[in-house]
Amino acid sequence: MTTRKRAGGVRKTRSLLSLIVLAIFIFFFLFFAGESGGGLPWFQAVPASLRWWGGGILLAASAILAGRVYCSVLCPLGTLQELIWRSGRRPRSYVRPSVLRYWILGGVLLSAGVGYMLPLAGFDPYAAFGRGITHLLRPIVLGGNNLLATALEERGTYSLLHRIAQPSLLPELVLGTALFFTLLAFWAFFRGRPFCDAICPVGTFLGLFSAAPLASIRYEGEKCVSCGMCETVCPEGCISAAERRIETDRCVLCLRCLEKCPAGALRFGLAAVNEGLGRRRVLRSGLGALAAFAVFLRAKRPDGTIPAAAASWDERLPISPPGSRSHGNFTEKCVACTACVSACPAGIIRSSLTAWGAKGIFQPELDFSRGYCQFGCVACSLACPTGAIEPLLLEEKQKIAVGKARFLQRNCIVRKYGQACGACSEHCPTQAVRMIPFRGELTIPEVDTSLCLGCGACEYACPETPKAITVSGIAVHGRIREREEEDGKGPVVAPLEEFPF
Amino acid sequence: MDRREFLKRSLAMSVGGAALLVPGSVKRVFAASGKLPGLAAVRGGEPGAMFDRGVAALGGLERFVKKGQTVVLKPNMSWDVPPELAANTNPELVERIVKRCLEAGASKVYAFDHTCDLWRNCYVNSGIESAVKRAGGIVSPAEASRYYQKVSIAGAKSLKEPSVHELLLECDVFINVPVLKHHGGAGITMGMKNLMGTVWNRRELHSKGLHQCIADLSLFRKPDLTVIDAYRVMTRNGPRGTSERDVTVMKAQILSTDIVAGDTAGARIFGIDPQNVGHIRIGADQGAGTMDLDSVGVERIAL
Repeated sequence: MTTRKRAGGVRKTRSLLSLIVLAIFIFFFLFFAGESGGGLPWFQAVPASLRWWGGGILLAASAILAGRVYCSVLCPLGTLQELIWRSGRRPRSYVRPSVLRYWILGGVLLSAGVGYMLPLAGFDPYAAFGRGITHLLRPIVLGGNNLLATALEERGTYSLLHRIAQPSLLPELVLGTALFFTLLAFWAFFRGRPFCDAICPVGTFLGLFSAAPLASIRYEGEKCVSCGMCETVCPEGCISAAERRIETDRCVLCLRCLEKCPAGALRFGLAAVNEGLGRRRVLRSGLGALAAFAVFLRAKRPDGTIPAAAASWDERLPISPPGSRSHGNFTEKCVACTACVSACPAGIIRSSLTAWGAKGIFQPELDFSRGYCQFGCVACSLACPTGAIEPLLLEEKQKIAVGKARFLQRNCIVRKYGQACGACSEHCPTQAVRMIPFRGELTIPEVDTSLCLGCGACEYACPETPKAITVSGIAVHGRIREREEEDGKGPVVAPLEEFPF
Repeated sequence: MDRREFLKRSLAMSVGGAALLVPGSVKRVFAASGKLPGLAAVRGGEPGAMFDRGVAALGGLERFVKKGQTVVLKPNMSWDVPPELAANTNPELVERIVKRCLEAGASKVYAFDHTCDLWRNCYVNSGIESAVKRAGGIVSPAEASRYYQKVSIAGAKSLKEPSVHELLLECDVFINVPVLKHHGGAGITMGMKNLMGTVWNRRELHSKGLHQCIADLSLFRKPDLTVIDAYRVMTRNGPRGTSERDVTVMKAQILSTDIVAGDTAGARIFGIDPQNVGHIRIGADQGAGTMDLDSVGVERIAL
């Protein structure tokens, strides 16, 4: 009994760890995405492999050592499925390994390799989880928070809670996400962690190296009483009790079999020396090496974006967040996890449907219809774990141009009605839009594109419909020119000597 | 002004000037002559000290704030920039006003602004939220339409029915605390322009003719006191500013019971003829106040 007790303790510790990770991810996507760079999201499989060439190799090494230990504690989507399954406690039985998963992994690697990110973004469990929180849970939580904040204010309690702006979400994408999670929830309720077993490209990648990991769960001696308990509690369906076999490339180390085995016949331990490599295993290892090499190459892929800007007033290129360097770098590294969408305090980063074409569904773009990129903010660049948006210091960000403003005088209030306005210039943080003499007392905006950040403040502020000033993206981000501070730094000190009245 | 009146005024002024040498005596002198000045211009001190001297010259804060009244301050905190850039009202000045209002017996002192940049960032980074809280006041949000109520302004020509922050409708005392700065659209911004931050639909003012709308808005709830902060003055690239180089440290302040007179004095300090500022001119024509500083009674104080 003591071995079972110990196994139970270890299993519970693992469950607790995975739940803590799940909670961290939920709070990250709800509230803290823009607070600071780094942290757990940076250690997720796909983001880490995209941002750093060693990411894939490190993952492979972990699998060679202990199988899919990553899936055991670090994957929020896996833990979520396990929770749903445990709520019904449906017994499982052995299922044959899926072949589909290899096709998915191959397809994902190939398409991501040529810069087509939709399949990877769609199947990456981390990104899928993030989209779920941002598109489904977060609107509800923010709504609740905002109601509570309002109720408190009405009772005279200010500044305990503040309302948080809801980001703009496209209904198509909310619906799509809801559909995905509904299907996943049903599937998981009956089948445990089916996504991890039959679909997940990260799990499959790890599986290629987990055919015979150094440490794994195995049957010990002849203690087994063939009760079949282990098979019924396995969320992956990877235990065949009849054959006393655990398929380690599918096992996610949930440790439930260890805990439940009445005979204490299962053990987590090192492989015996005489367990040699069969022909199939050699083949799999070869495939695994190939996949790891592909992941390595992907991380090293150079950015070949050709500089481009809108050619006319009617053309409008999408705008990628500051720190994304270029449209190529952004769209080829973004897995659409929506961390930046959640991080943006202005709520202007929005998952797109068509902005980046079919390959970029869900990848975000800046949308200035409800606000503009705040001059003093770098939240999205801190939130992004994949390197699609690189971390920025504030003084760097304040020099990076992500788009350019275009002014169409015939739409401008000053010209149309002969009235003073200047809302655009008022909001411009660099005075790229300044007011120059027009008729009589009137002044009219003028854009100096060499100072324009493309932050969208002018576009948002323009009170006229159609807008007289709009921002279009530029394919390769630039730097604005240094403002000449010919007359030194610091304020002029000239106290008033006498009153001019 | 005839000769007799001129002599009378000169006499009054010299008496007032002499009285200034004795701190606290201004109130008595003007009380004796039966009329308190409507405008105090102060220079050469720190923002808090200048306010104390200026408001004493106007007859003390008790002239405006009675025991148990609620006071609303409308500082300019529209921009997410630090105080050194002078895009927002000086936090030290706001803190002092809140403190003095509470000392004068105000039951509650609120401050709010409908900001341009994100409101949380503006409230925090302007330094005004913490300043108000330090002094014991309440910072109210103004970022949601639910705070605003539709009103109609008698005598308005363009901005006839704006939605205005409810605090402005409910308060007993309204103190307008703008900062003097350059403004690309309106030329210059002070007291009247600052009222834009009490309105929900800011864009409406731009699309219906900025100067006329500002003047219209000034007719709605005339501030009991306007305190124009000209300690740090943004002289170009306004209203947001780009660097500290846009700022001139002038160390001045104008306190006025008449919003148009205050802006008139402010424009002079800035170096602009107030006649050339549309909203000041229209405001005076429409009766929001007067551009004739002498008729208001000016007290000039150097610290």
